[in-house]
Amino acid sequence: MNLLLTGGSRGLGLQIAEHQLSLGHQVYVVSRNVTKELDSLLRKFPERACFIDCDLADTGQIKKRVFDDQIGKETPLHGLISNAATAYDDLLTNLQPEPLHSMFQTNVYAPMFLTKYVVRNMLLHEVAGSIVHISSISAHTGYKGLAMYAATKGAIESFSKNTAREWGSKGIRSNCVVAGFMETEMSSSLSNEQRDRIHKRTALKRPTSLVSVASTVEYLLSDGSQSVTGQNLFVDSGTI
Amino acid sequence: MTPAIYLTRLSMSDKLLRLFNGIRSDAGAAELDSIDDDAKLRDDLGFDSLELAVLAVKIEAEFGVDVFEQGIVLTVGELRGRINE
Repeated sequence: MNLLLTGGSRGLGLQIAEHQLSLGHQVYVVSRNVTKELDSLLRKFPERACFIDCDLADTGQIKKRVFDDQIGKETPLHGLISNAATAYDDLLTNLQPEPLHSMFQTNVYAPMFLTKYVVRNMLLHEVAGSIVHISSISAHTGYKGLAMYAATKGAIESFSKNTAREWGSKGIRSNCVVAGFMETEMSSSLSNEQRDRIHKRTALKRPTSLVSVASTVEYLLSDGSQSVTGQNLFVDSGTI
Repeated sequence: MTPAIYLTRLSMSDKLLRLFNGIRSDAGAAELDSIDDDAKLRDDLGFDSLELAVLAVKIEAEFGVDVFEQGIVLTVGELRGRINE
């Protein structure tokens, strides 16, 4: 399979990239930069790992940089893993327009435009492909300071559901993986007390594992999930 | 001698006819022998909104133009006009 993955330079995205490359797939990794970890992955899989330099906050450059310059019209895409996201954490009463705008560009507008061009690619090549968005448990449970971030994930879940309905007759599927709190850079600003409080709200009393989320993404990209579309799959240690 | 512009037009017609028939064939509709500039994409050729989207994608790959970028077009002639713009 040829897969397009965003935000693959670290954390969950890096885990998903490594997982899919190990399975033998071609992975186009979109990121703003190449971290040491991504660089070593690109060297490990030089034939099948392709880095695409693109700042997704600038949605106007997505078509050219990702699709026209790199993937091209000859390459069929079988899957999109829309993982890149930024978190603007603050109390609602401190809300500022610029960081809100920037976060919505990366977390909502960019996935929508990426999906547009991926679906167009799938229609061109008559591929019954799979689109997977990484959502967040914060869109469902509510956490202090995450109202703005959670709103971007709620938007993506609605977008995914409607994409599934719109393009299902062409065999194109769209689903969300609703990830719980993971031990990644995005959650690194949390204090130990905050972490404990979050983990206590889960049945398993522990953080969500990156491997578990990456395996669920693998399932949604595979033929094993051919009848699954328009769904939100919760991988969240059983958040209560 | 046939003017070059006429050859281009013929070539575009052939390509459009091939694209139209590909989509009609997938939908179980009979193939067309020719296309008329006055033919309406929905009413006369029977394309629904998703088929028009597929058509737009295939036209973009063939001619490098997103024909619906500036809004919807109704007839084959309008479609040809967008490609020529």
